[in-house]
Amino acid sequence: MSVASALGCGAAFLRHLSSGSRSGSTLILLRAGRTKPRPYSSSLARCAAPEPPDVSRLADTARISLTPEEVEQFAPKIRQVIDWFGQLQAVDLESIEPSLRADTDASTSQREDAPETFGNREAIIAAVPSYDDPYIKVPKVLNKE
Amino acid sequence: MPSLIQSPRFLLSHCLSPLPPNARSGFCGRLFHRSSAAAAALSSDAQTISSNQSSSYAPLLAPPSSEILSMRESLLSRRRTAAEIAEEYLDRLRRTEPQIRSFLHVSETVMREAEEVDRLVETGAELGPLAGVLIGVKDNICTVDMPSTGGSRILEGYRPAFDATAVRRLKEAGAIVIGKTNLDEFGMGSTTEGSGFQVTANPWDVSRVPGGSSGGSAAAVSARQCAVSLGSDTGGSVRQPASFCGVVGLKPTYGRISRFGLMSYASSLDVIGCFGSSIIDAAIILNAVAGHDRFDATSSMHEVPDYASCLISIDQFDSKPLKGLRIGMITETMGDGVEMGVVSSIKAAALHLEELGAVLTEVSLPSFSLGLPAYYILASSEASSNLSRYDGVRYGKQVAADELISLYGDSRADGFGPEAKMRILMGTYALSAGYYEAYYKRAQQVRTLVRKSFKDALEKNDILISPAAPSPAFRIGEKVNDPLAMYAGDIMTVNVNLAGVPALVVPCGFVEGGIAGLPVGLQMIGTSFSEEKLLRVGHIFEQTLQNHRFVPPLLG
Repeated sequence: MSVASALGCGAAFLRHLSSGSRSGSTLILLRAGRTKPRPYSSSLARCAAPEPPDVSRLADTARISLTPEEVEQFAPKIRQVIDWFGQLQAVDLESIEPSLRADTDASTSQREDAPETFGNREAIIAAVPSYDDPYIKVPKVLNKE
Repeated sequence: MPSLIQSPRFLLSHCLSPLPPNARSGFCGRLFHRSSAAAAALSSDAQTISSNQSSSYAPLLAPPSSEILSMRESLLSRRRTAAEIAEEYLDRLRRTEPQIRSFLHVSETVMREAEEVDRLVETGAELGPLAGVLIGVKDNICTVDMPSTGGSRILEGYRPAFDATAVRRLKEAGAIVIGKTNLDEFGMGSTTEGSGFQVTANPWDVSRVPGGSSGGSAAAVSARQCAVSLGSDTGGSVRQPASFCGVVGLKPTYGRISRFGLMSYASSLDVIGCFGSSIIDAAIILNAVAGHDRFDATSSMHEVPDYASCLISIDQFDSKPLKGLRIGMITETMGDGVEMGVVSSIKAAALHLEELGAVLTEVSLPSFSLGLPAYYILASSEASSNLSRYDGVRYGKQVAADELISLYGDSRADGFGPEAKMRILMGTYALSAGYYEAYYKRAQQVRTLVRKSFKDALEKNDILISPAAPSPAFRIGEKVNDPLAMYAGDIMTVNVNLAGVPALVVPCGFVEGGIAGLPVGLQMIGTSFSEEKLLRVGHIFEQTLQNHRFVPPLLG
């Protein structure tokens, strides 16, 4: 069962980190710890193998204007964590249903979808950085694409 | 609400004679009689305990007593006023805060609110169960007319228009919010070094971290800057700081406490939790805040028992109060990578539980180590989505720009700290078109495995135990530049969030470090909505633990 082999990898990972070594070599250790190569599941095979993160492009998508220094500083750390995420590719999860959440209580019911007036409207408006009654002001909207 | 709260008259009738501090355990005993329902809930094998049997325990150091109950007793017996008590806490806060820095904001209305409580006492009006109790609130939980920043510069100066439901319920029970506690930005971190404002220190050794992300709430209770506090726990953010600071920390079942007014980080995992210096205090807080809320569709309709009344006092224990309780020690949490001192503290705690009558076995959770990467995929992905609301337009800090896209990008670049930025970017990557199945979906599949492994283990055992962290509090700055080393520290706690089950951390021992040792917490995990059982076992453990006193050296 591949879960068991991944468990071994994870334990090696924890051991490795706590021994105070640089975690830069973590992934190598993980791969070395895996005895047999695991075939990717069919769900993964259908899509292309994930490409390594392009931090500038991600920052653009996430609407965060990073400085070139930040891109340089974040890129190796993000790559390292995403490589580490990759260990889940080695686990056979073929027939396992995904869980959206812990789902501890199925009895939760939804409330009626009806609008209610919030009592403290002034406080909400007072928090708006740029307000011109009755509008929230923003600068011009340009379509760069 | 009122039906969830302990009747003040019930408390009053038992609180007539003032007692010296060392008799407080006896005092509690008269308050909390063991109900037969609670006995049945504990364990099918648990034996009924005869209440007239004398205790076989006489700890050298007094077990922790309830700050809330002793305060209540002082008020009702007119020995002290709420104002005097508030003044004492504020004095201690002012004295310790320059070193600890657990608060981002201290309320200016504490004395006024305490005087209001005293007027109620004078008129003989019925007092709420938390009348005059000073509570710290993690700054990612909204408080009306008080700053609520989530530890992020992007919300600097933001004052919400409403109270979180948990805060509203505490106030309705009479509590006074003393201030807002520090945290890693939006809960993303394990040390409180990730706050956009300040670094909080551990009261046991100010060169060390208090843990995180609820480090401010844990440090504040540890340093007795407030009686109790609220935190939030997405991957261990209540339990790990409770362990590092030597206080009780409760992470309830997913859905047990309304999250209305909690700033969302990873919605499939987030819960509000609480800290106290005793189990009784954590139970009383849970009583006040638990239960369904129509403003949070994920809050549970599950019945709320009286968590405090199931706690039995030490003078009512026989020598085996946990007789028949099946406890499983999680094998994966006791091996390599866990500091020796932590392992021996947990083993000693397990032995103590056995001496109390519990049956101890080892239990393996095969998916345990997969939980860590799965957790970080889910948390980063959900964070990237949840934090998209901070755009500088409707609230928070706005950076001027001449067109809208730059206003978003510059406001977010200026407002978020490095960890929040990195998690947003990692989450953005994991949710990118075509990668969803490789990351987010696989992590959700691992969650299914984790849920199942906890379910199986908790069918064979009444509770599971483990450390709350693989190490005691480490030094400020030690792991700042190594994200994976930082993330690895969460291995003991993240699986519990994936499974959604409740867990309680109770101080159990010390390891070497600092001037007086560093505290270690024992994590106890139960099935969904078994908080009552965890608190009962935790209370028995805490009352019978010998020779430990979890008061930091800072307080003398």
